[in-house]
Amino acid sequence: MHGGRSAVKERRQWAGFERALPYLLLAPAVLVVLAVLVYPLWDGIKASTDFYRFGRPIESVGLENYTDLWSDPQFRNALWVTVRFVTLAVAIETVLGLALALFCASELRGVRFLRTALIVPMVITPVVVGIVFRLIYATEAGMLTVVSEKLGGDPVLILSDPTKAFLGLVVLDVWEWTPLMFLILLAGVQSLPVEPIEAARVDGAGAWRTFVDHTLPMLRPVLAVAIVLRTIDAFGTFDQVFVLTRGGPGEATRLVSIYGYDTAFKFQQVGYAAALFVTVGLIVLAFALVAVRLLRRVETA
Amino acid sequence: MTGRVARGLVFGLIVAIVLVPLYWMAATSLKSNKEITQEGTLYPQDPSLDNFRKLFAEKEFGHYLLNSIVVTGVSVLVSLVLGSLAAYAIARFRLVLRLERRIGLALLTVRIVPAVVILIPVYLLILKLDLLDTWLGLIIIYTALNITFVVWMMESFFREIPTDLEEAAMVDGDSRLSAFRRIVVPLAAPGLVATAIFAVIVTFNEFLFALVLTATPDAMTMPRGTATLIGRIDVDTASMAAAGVLGALPIVIFALIVQRHLVRGLTLGAIK
Repeated sequence: MHGGRSAVKERRQWAGFERALPYLLLAPAVLVVLAVLVYPLWDGIKASTDFYRFGRPIESVGLENYTDLWSDPQFRNALWVTVRFVTLAVAIETVLGLALALFCASELRGVRFLRTALIVPMVITPVVVGIVFRLIYATEAGMLTVVSEKLGGDPVLILSDPTKAFLGLVVLDVWEWTPLMFLILLAGVQSLPVEPIEAARVDGAGAWRTFVDHTLPMLRPVLAVAIVLRTIDAFGTFDQVFVLTRGGPGEATRLVSIYGYDTAFKFQQVGYAAALFVTVGLIVLAFALVAVRLLRRVETA
Repeated sequence: MTGRVARGLVFGLIVAIVLVPLYWMAATSLKSNKEITQEGTLYPQDPSLDNFRKLFAEKEFGHYLLNSIVVTGVSVLVSLVLGSLAAYAIARFRLVLRLERRIGLALLTVRIVPAVVILIPVYLLILKLDLLDTWLGLIIIYTALNITFVVWMMESFFREIPTDLEEAAMVDGDSRLSAFRRIVVPLAAPGLVATAIFAVIVTFNEFLFALVLTATPDAMTMPRGTATLIGRIDVDTASMAAAGVLGALPIVIFALIVQRHLVRGLTLGAIK
């Protein structure tokens, strides 16, 4: 120390640093996100008002890309396929996951063993999940065909039939993501208080009534969060479809993500694809906002 | 007694549903193409590793694996450091304009938007930076994507740690930063581990950006390389199955080793 005055000065500087500290801690993370995620988002919105293809002069077309989108039958089909896919897959995953969670809630030893197996579908690379199901569905030498022929039947056609290919994709998603639903809901079920359920049982309520009147209402917050997260996630599904069907046959499994990718990188209509993705982003965000609002209402009710 | 038998049967059925598709891929990878197309066997009659040998000899699977490990390792590490510091600031300080709340909320919103939405502008950005088909290009985008997740997870872990401990350390002469390092980080270690594991799995498996941002084995990651290989017209079923097994193996082994932390991270992350 060099006397009183400089010690005071030093202390004051130190206090200034203390005050700036939280901002310094936040800055690097915020800057990276701003530069790599937010700026591109802004850039994408700008690009969505342009008509351009790689290597050609850009011309601004205002909102034309957006209005074109809504009269584009291929986009409307892709959106419809996506909505159907997400609804069906998430509904099945929720029902199966919930049933399993209730079934396993009291059985701890078996669950530990089950858990190890259930981890695999959700951590395995989605691209590989696409391969796994291609090997099952393939008409020639696929698992279904081999088994069918062993039983004296005909080759099984899945990926060349629009309806079956779509359902095949749903089955893939159910296989991959029901385990996550199950684990989340199992944690939810295990954290429920036992008293109300036991009281209902003592009062002579049947298993179904106990479930509907007590378990389900208490489980609603966890259930809602799980459904919202899975829905948002499923809306962006890309990898598995890219490997399994590439959107075919025809447009039967062409989700918005696949159509957007093709528009940008196959047909080179970058502005149009940007408008498509901005629209998809807005749809998902709107869904999330509505879901959060509904959740709040349920919680305060 | 019958209840126990029924339960055992259901458990067995579930495990079978999970494992049979994987078994089929593994079994196919050990067969020859002749056996696959002509005999239609249910298990390999004459199992061999020829398909794998071919992949490593002709294709660039060694490169893909190296690229994946570097890109995943660096981006998870960087995002863990930057994200934890930011999460600590959000969890512990009150800032002007309630900035800590707003930033937390903004990061969550960015996270909700599906990554596919920024695919094109990110491609244009990496193109502008001349980083297409490089490790750095992938590392930049993966780090940013991971940060939103790390902040969200770590903030809640930090909040669980009582402030008394840091304050006591600071009374004893620690600065804010050394209290963070000596007291908070060790206490938050389980959360850090769970977050890191989750980030590693998501990053290793990422495909969409790798598809658009890389083009050669110099930078292609495992999922990208696998998809390219099976996208070729001349690909045979045996190679496809072997590529699938190779593509899945590193991350499945990793997940099984760390599975205890993994389940905690997965369910915690979803419930919070």
